[in-house]
Amino acid sequence: MKFWVTLAGHDREVTLRTEDETLVLEVDGRRLVADFHRLPDGEVYSLLVDGRSHEVRVATGADGLEVTLDGATTVPVEVRHPLEKMLRAAQGGARGLGGETILAPMPGLLVAYKVAAGDVVTPGQAVAVIEAMKMQNELTARHGGVAGEPLVAERSSVSAGQPLLRLKAAPA
Amino acid sequence: MKPIRRVLIANRGEIAVRIARTLRERDVTSIAVFSEPDRASLHVLLADEAYPIGPGPSRDSYLNLERVLETAKRVRADAVHPGYGFFAENPVFAKACAEAGLAFIGPKPETIAALGDKLAARAAAERAGVPIIPGSPGPVATLGEARDVAKRIGFPLMLKAAAGGGGKGMRVVRSDAELSAAWDVTRGEAGAAFGDDRVFVERAIERPRHVEAQILADSSGRVAFLGERECSVQRRHQKLLEETPSPAFDAKTRAAFGDAACRIAKAVGYLSAGTVEFILDEEGRFYFLEVNTRLQVEHPVTEMVTGLDLVAEQLAIAEGAPLSFGDTPPVPRGASMEARIIAEDPAANFMPSVGRVERVRFPQGPGVRNDAGIYRGYQVPVFYDSLLSKLVVWGEDREHARRRMLRALGEFVLEGLHHNVAFHRWLVAHEAFAAGNLSTRFLDEHFKPEMLAPDATAGEIALLAAALHAREQSLEVSLPGGNGVERSPWRWSDRRRAGGRTRA
Repeated sequence: MKFWVTLAGHDREVTLRTEDETLVLEVDGRRLVADFHRLPDGEVYSLLVDGRSHEVRVATGADGLEVTLDGATTVPVEVRHPLEKMLRAAQGGARGLGGETILAPMPGLLVAYKVAAGDVVTPGQAVAVIEAMKMQNELTARHGGVAGEPLVAERSSVSAGQPLLRLKAAPA
Repeated sequence: MKPIRRVLIANRGEIAVRIARTLRERDVTSIAVFSEPDRASLHVLLADEAYPIGPGPSRDSYLNLERVLETAKRVRADAVHPGYGFFAENPVFAKACAEAGLAFIGPKPETIAALGDKLAARAAAERAGVPIIPGSPGPVATLGEARDVAKRIGFPLMLKAAAGGGGKGMRVVRSDAELSAAWDVTRGEAGAAFGDDRVFVERAIERPRHVEAQILADSSGRVAFLGERECSVQRRHQKLLEETPSPAFDAKTRAAFGDAACRIAKAVGYLSAGTVEFILDEEGRFYFLEVNTRLQVEHPVTEMVTGLDLVAEQLAIAEGAPLSFGDTPPVPRGASMEARIIAEDPAANFMPSVGRVERVRFPQGPGVRNDAGIYRGYQVPVFYDSLLSKLVVWGEDREHARRRMLRALGEFVLEGLHHNVAFHRWLVAHEAFAAGNLSTRFLDEHFKPEMLAPDATAGEIALLAAALHAREQSLEVSLPGGNGVERSPWRWSDRRRAGGRTRA
């Protein structure tokens, strides 16, 4: 089977086939072969790649999959059907700012917004400061967009997952 | 003094667990208290008894003095151990315990009060003949006075709130203009944060090392020095990794250092376990910083090299007993390191993280100790400190301890929330760390978040894992569905299964 993955900002097509407990993956003209064994512990696998032992866990994150390697390093991976890529290509055009809703990642105090309604926010830009666990933390935009009206008052308590600000998608 | 049979632990999480362990080993009843969100915390599960003390916010539970004391009296505790944080350095609480007929496991209230004031502590150190950083002899009232101090000792200078601590209320100024600009701001911040706007001025040391002395003092006036701990690797003035012995010390420095720490302790009539903090300049000269009148987070490294149990020593001291080793403290053997495992994201400016521990496997094996406050399925609450666990190792020497720490960190599996295990793997493997070339600016000088980014091999492993996930999804749809309709293998957004296990 074929699919399309996005890893570290790069899209590539991947072909995979399995035989018993051997996984063969073709990517960028290379062949990766792994002996795999599922552990009785969620979606966790032991992988033996050229004999080297790795432990991986796959979980669903906010923007696709999150693969945790050897217990501590998390790599975000998006996996999509090739048709989806064709669809996007057909829609055409350069991608601008994606738009998103900024959510409170944890309960805490919304200290201040760093942007005002109508501001163009670029990916990675700080949009708000939230205080939790005795520390102030900046929340940053992932996809960027045009800032809407603030959804909560500054200096008010927020709960985990509460929307704080909407960023409208904008063309590049 | 009467023997202590029942101890209320006025704390939570990993330190409450650690204290309960010693109590249980000594056949002393361990009594936990817990806030509403801590009902399922490990300290509640491991203590002999546990009692509720109110809602989640600390001020309504762990910092609710009346409630904690009322509980201690009601459940017939003989003594209270404050752990660290919360009431650990609060003289009002220590005094209230004494008045309620409870032994406070720590120093006397008047000692806590005296040493909690940085200026009073500095004056005590000076009286004891211990070096202090050149600076103003007391609080500086006006900008003009601060300028006079600057003329005498030169820039860079540090403006420090008299009531500050933990890195808060401090500001470095490098010129007269910066001093003028910072003066009102620092005073204002000190007033707002500590209710005390007194500020003093001292010389700033540019690449300091943080080294501290562990002391124990009993009621007969005996004071013992149990070696130093170096805690230079910090972020936002909070320690991340501690070790003993300090790679910056030789035997002569250590002897002078221990002697200085004991002189301060004797000068203030210290009782119980305490830590005298110093900073070291680049020439290896040490200067008094402050005294922490409590057990420290990093106390296990001292335990690893001395074989002592510091909580047990505190307990004996509170009963009026002498130090277990009399006049001859154990000679430290080997080296030890502690990595603080914290719920935070080092790649995002160390932002704290909350969440559920989806999967955990602690390191084991020779020379490894892990003091954790978590377990699989545990939900890390938002109200408290984000320290999850303390990973401690022992080795024959520093390099052995370092390699063992790297090995133990490699075994550490912790999933479901952001944490700093990968950061510690980077740190302990770093050549400057391996060389013992440390300062409190270590992270500023060496760390960039992208250093934790997965490498090409990690990318390939992640691809393989994603492929296995894809295979899992397609296997699932090849089974006949409940309604006879096969689901597309490519509907990635639909994570639910028709029946059977749920996915984390």
